[in-house]
Amino acid sequence: MSTPAVELREITKRFPGVVANDDVDLTVDRGSVHALLGENGAGKTTLMNVLYGLYEPTAGTVVVDGEERSFDSPRDAIDVGVGMIHQHFMLVDPMTVTENITLGNEPRRQSGLARLTGLSVDRGRAREDVVELSERYGFDVDPDARIEDVSVGVQQRVEILKALYRGADVLILDEPTAVLTPQEVGDLFAVFDELTAQGKTIIFITHKLGEAMTAADEITVLRDGKNVGTVDASATTREELAELMVGREVLLDVERPPTDFGEEVLAVDDLVVTDDRNVRAVEDLSLSVREGEIFGVAGVDGNGQSELVEAITGLQTPDSGTITLEGRDLTDRSRRQRIEAGMSYVPEDRQEQGLVMDYDLVENGLLGSQHQAPFARNGRIDWGEARDHAESVIGEYDVRPPDADTEAESLSGGNQQKFVVGREFERDPTLLVAAHPTRGVDVGSIEFIHERLLELRSQGVAILLVSSKLEEVQALSDRLAVIYEGSFVDTVDPDEVTEEELGLLMAGERPESADENGAPEATAVTDDDVTVEAADAEAADPEAADAEAADAESGGDGE
Amino acid sequence: MSVRDRARSALERLVAASAAERALISLASLVLAVAIGTIIILVGGRMTTCGEAAFVLTHPRPFGFPQLFRMGFCYDPVLVFDRLFIGALGDPLKRGWGPLSPFTGGAINPFRAGYDPLNAQMANTLKETTILVFTGLSVALAFRAGIFNIGSQGQMIVGGLATAVSVLWASSLVSGLAGTLVLVPFGLLVGALFGGLYGAVPGALKAYADANEVITTIMLNFVATGVVLYLVRDVFKDPDSFANQTVPLPEYALFPALVFPDPSGFSIVALAFAAGCILALYYLLTRTAFGYDIRTSGIQPEAAEFGGVDAKRTIVASMSLSGALAGIGGAVYVLMVLGNYQTGVPAYGFDGITVAILAGNNPLGVGFAAFLFGVLKSGTIVVQFSTDVPPQLVGVLRGLIILFVAMPEFFRLIGRRVLPAEPDRPGGTAVATDGGHDRDGPPPGDGTTTPRDSAAAGGEHR
Repeated sequence: MSTPAVELREITKRFPGVVANDDVDLTVDRGSVHALLGENGAGKTTLMNVLYGLYEPTAGTVVVDGEERSFDSPRDAIDVGVGMIHQHFMLVDPMTVTENITLGNEPRRQSGLARLTGLSVDRGRAREDVVELSERYGFDVDPDARIEDVSVGVQQRVEILKALYRGADVLILDEPTAVLTPQEVGDLFAVFDELTAQGKTIIFITHKLGEAMTAADEITVLRDGKNVGTVDASATTREELAELMVGREVLLDVERPPTDFGEEVLAVDDLVVTDDRNVRAVEDLSLSVREGEIFGVAGVDGNGQSELVEAITGLQTPDSGTITLEGRDLTDRSRRQRIEAGMSYVPEDRQEQGLVMDYDLVENGLLGSQHQAPFARNGRIDWGEARDHAESVIGEYDVRPPDADTEAESLSGGNQQKFVVGREFERDPTLLVAAHPTRGVDVGSIEFIHERLLELRSQGVAILLVSSKLEEVQALSDRLAVIYEGSFVDTVDPDEVTEEELGLLMAGERPESADENGAPEATAVTDDDVTVEAADAEAADPEAADAEAADAESGGDGE
Repeated sequence: MSVRDRARSALERLVAASAAERALISLASLVLAVAIGTIIILVGGRMTTCGEAAFVLTHPRPFGFPQLFRMGFCYDPVLVFDRLFIGALGDPLKRGWGPLSPFTGGAINPFRAGYDPLNAQMANTLKETTILVFTGLSVALAFRAGIFNIGSQGQMIVGGLATAVSVLWASSLVSGLAGTLVLVPFGLLVGALFGGLYGAVPGALKAYADANEVITTIMLNFVATGVVLYLVRDVFKDPDSFANQTVPLPEYALFPALVFPDPSGFSIVALAFAAGCILALYYLLTRTAFGYDIRTSGIQPEAAEFGGVDAKRTIVASMSLSGALAGIGGAVYVLMVLGNYQTGVPAYGFDGITVAILAGNNPLGVGFAAFLFGVLKSGTIVVQFSTDVPPQLVGVLRGLIILFVAMPEFFRLIGRRVLPAEPDRPGGTAVATDGGHDRDGPPPGDGTTTPRDSAAAGGEHR
């Protein structure tokens, strides 16, 4: 048996007050894909940062290629062939793919004059190297494209090439699928196969069970900084993995009891929103949500979901169209008036919007209700009341550590999200707008948030749910609209549609062309002509299309 | 242990320091500043030529021990720091400060002998402190709202002139004790109003025209100086005076001089009012919904908007309030120090920026920072005319003390930015660097990290 590519022995990493890794052993075989699975804050990234030389372990040894190593910095790790691709890419946007890949390790020209003048980067050779490298691994990457012009999936491949260019044999990927579309995820896993076929070793961090099972050969589960087991991916089940991760049995399927929908709560008519770059992000979009209904919006990120949600919640001003809540026209109302009218909003970005990172949870629990009774009377804040509120959210939504004096910044991502979700759910809303409510949250908390969403639904709250997780919107929604480039491609019955059909819709394929696949029985809810009309107009000059689209518009996805 | 680790653990200790420890650290920094100041004075004194050495360094010579070295210095560091603190606080050994004091006995002294805290030097220090409290609060409030108000100086002189002119006009209507009771609050109100309006201008420009407040406030300072100069010289000028000043206000329209000796230009009433303003602002920021709005928009504008804070209104409101505080500073300067309006107001507005930064923009801290500034301001004046040390060197000593007192807090600030990036947030990809050359913000991907995180993480590995 050959020596494993990487061996971590009894790694312990302590931070002040926290043990991030506790006596962790990990063995990764050469030429295999190894998934590191765990909840938020289980210590996955810390462990990999130890392997990558960013952290020095408090105790334990790192063995690469059968030799004991001690890394002072990532450079040492790279030197022995360990490369890491972080969740957020380290690329220079205006530079080309080639320049990014060779950055810091540019091939030098050997002629004397060029070396003396400092103009020694051999661009021609750099390009050749990159082309040769990407051909060897079957990457489809244009070496001259600029990073800002290529998709996220390609950027990720550039990151991988960068690591390979520096001679990495072991590639660590931190949550590589978080930013990808389902199609791109498939492509990434194909890249994994190609790389391992050529003898590279891959370790990837994830908290998604399905991915670990599809892509990995072996799966190591971390819980509370401890290795709780390494299993063979082909011989395990989702249930087993979920139980290992959480430490108890987890209900993976959501039970959505039938309810009667009441009055229309939210009506959005002919909404047009332009984003900061003056691009039309939402095009003549209409929708309505009734009491006790979850209206799901599925789509690849960046197709106008954020703008739609922000226009509804009052954080962006729409160019035209109306937003009506319980018969009241709120289009020109401020964000505060909308909150007071009973609108709750779980924002997409909890660290920018949902929480003030420097505030403790008492102050954060107040965000949005600082002018409302019982927290404020005559402009004076009742901090006792605010503390009680924060503590009840912490208790009910299992925010850890359960201390209202903790600053939001020091909570893990999942706990931050639980607190935001709790605060917004407890506002006693008539409309809840939830954008990616379970993003970055671990399995156990996802289950809990889903349960609470359905509870609100049964209490008659109208819910607009935006998510890029297909299984989530599909399982929770009563009606599901697919958004593509700012308008709904189709509105479907989530119980009847398949994931493949949704994938096609998300890629902008119209239901007409999907006819052969038998998709459209489930699509009757939308007035198809309208969405198609709007999309045609969008293809033309946006200015001229404005009037045209307004003329053509008749109604939304009617009730 | 590498240098980085050592720096990190030092930062950790600093961040975790308790209030008492922080006070001790500040005191230690002060002592260190004095020590380094001593070296600078000695070096400076060695490099200058003078007739007779003010300070001689030698060793004791018991039993006719021969003298091995003897080194003369032109400036005496002991005398400099002695004069600095005695000049600011009064001589602990004498009643009053003697020859340099305009005050020669006659005041009520509760202490039989020894230190008299109610001396003229102390009065001068507190006079500076009072004005600096207002400009410091002005800058600090704007800072808390995330706005850099450099225009406190302009707002102060606009408020000051408005106060002088309006009190002059109103002083013909009432007089005597009733006059004081009516005119002083009236003057403060007018100062606040005009300062506030003048602060609202850059606020509105920022909120509705997206004009950078740093540029507009700096420019409005020039506008204020120019317009006020024109008004004082050509419209409100005292015809009997050669200087650019208004007619003196009647005695009853000014802050009454109580407790402290009379000609010092200080009134304990104004100081009490300043203390009241400190507490009021502290209350506003920590206990009211409006204060919550201001603080939230100051540290995280996006979260504030999420929480229903109207960003534009908050900007205008906090700039108006900031301007009003500077305007009150101007009013107090006129009603307590000058007794009329004269052009050439000292740069209290700019000192207010330093005071606010030193105080960490905390209203309660502004009181202490303003007092430290007051001590240094009135102390250095005495150093300048009671020793041969040139004013430039005195300025260096003053800057040194401020720098040293401010540094620990500055490092705490850095520590708080750098440290939380590491522990217990592995899921949040706290460290998003491969060796730390990350300079571009994260893509708007899944929002588990803020730009600040990665910037901080980048900084720590540099």
